Amino acid sequence: MKDILPGLDRVRDRFLTMLEDRKTNIASHAIAAWEADCVEDICAHLAAAQSILHQIAGSAGSLGFAALGDSARHCENEIISHLQSECAALPECPEQLILNMDMFLSSCNDILRTPA
Amino acid sequence: MQILAVDDDPIILELLEQFVLAIGGHEVTTAESGMAALELLDGDESGSFDCFLLDIQMPGMDGIELTRKIRDIARFADTPILMLTAMTDKRYIDAAFAAGATDYVTKPFEVSELKARITLVEGLVEARQSRTQKILATQSAPSEGNTIELYEPISIYDVDNVIEYMAMENYVSQLSRNALFGSTAFAFTIRGIETFYAEMTAFEFFSLVSDVAEVISDTLEGRQFLMSYAGNGTYVCITESGWRPESRKVMDAVNLSLATTELFDNKGNRVEPRVSAGDAVRLIWKAGSSVMEAVSTAHASAEAAAAEHEYNKRDFWHLGQTA
Repeated sequence: MKDILPGLDRVRDRFLTMLEDRKTNIASHAIAAWEADCVEDICAHLAAAQSILHQIAGSAGSLGFAALGDSARHCENEIISHLQSECAALPECPEQLILNMDMFLSSCNDILRTPA
Repeated sequence: MQILAVDDDPIILELLEQFVLAIGGHEVTTAESGMAALELLDGDESGSFDCFLLDIQMPGMDGIELTRKIRDIARFADTPILMLTAMTDKRYIDAAFAAGATDYVTKPFEVSELKARITLVEGLVEARQSRTQKILATQSAPSEGNTIELYEPISIYDVDNVIEYMAMENYVSQLSRNALFGSTAFAFTIRGIETFYAEMTAFEFFSLVSDVAEVISDTLEGRQFLMSYAGNGTYVCITESGWRPESRKVMDAVNLSLATTELFDNKGNRVEPRVSAGDAVRLIWKAGSSVMEAVSTAHASAEAAAAEHEYNKRDFWHLGQTA
């Protein structure tokens, strides 16, 4: 792949740099959704986290981080399912969504700690 | 080709730049939002873009809305649009095709897949340029005769739910890929299409095909479907799951609508096309190439129904006779 795409390393480095910020933002939205006590806030924070997860899911696989991309996609789909369900009208954030995002963030940390 | 790529993720845009560089022979311009893309197009009066790569899910204006707006610009009415999406939900895919997308590529994509799609698009661009020249040439010189082939699929613009034939083929192939088979294929054929073709200029024939498409689309309004003109007077329709059309009723409704619509040729003579409908073929449980075969079956069924109608009209005294 590197032979075909000489600039891929640069894109990969930028992805990792952005992953640090994206990871922090996802964590902030996850905590805010968990702590919020009104439906609108919970849904807004989950939707914001889902949007970031969507971006990671779209590019991670093309850059050699297929497992991370799959994990992001799983989290994203779970959030979408929740937001489209009747449960989204309840003023509580499902624990499983937070656990999923926690596992995803751990995967991010593993990748970011791995020497290039 | 000059390609405009639109995605709110800068990583995807950088990846596309690298991928297109690796494929070679093309130049890519990028925009991070639908609005930014439209501003670029606004300043591109010469219509230099040959192809668009659009993300579906973007904040503000999404890729589906952007597709509609691009199609509204006359010079991009038939420019290939490939949707880049991680959203395999059929609703988004259907909406993208209905808005005017030519095909879609699923994220995360590989360079080989993108190369294959762009190569296909390149062929399409060349074919379209040739076809557009033919139609325009005949518009200015209608007496020179037909330059559209009878069996050639024709792109029809500005008719709801009508997409290009290549987009229809791509749509059907995506159905196979994603194992979403809750759809039905059926088709209409204009009766006596050979006669219309023989007697009309290319522009009149093009107008006839477009007008009938509009009548069919209006008649099916409220149903979820995509339709394409496949050539030889035949329109292929793919319906959404849950609706299996009753061919006879739909055909009668379309013909009633055609009877009340006044269509004329360039000389002011009334044109009165009618259609025959073929069997509805369910796509459930079909896989791979058998989905396309099912569509072909629906297509052939409509053409056979139209041919039978013409035969019965001509040789009605044979009806019910035995040897």
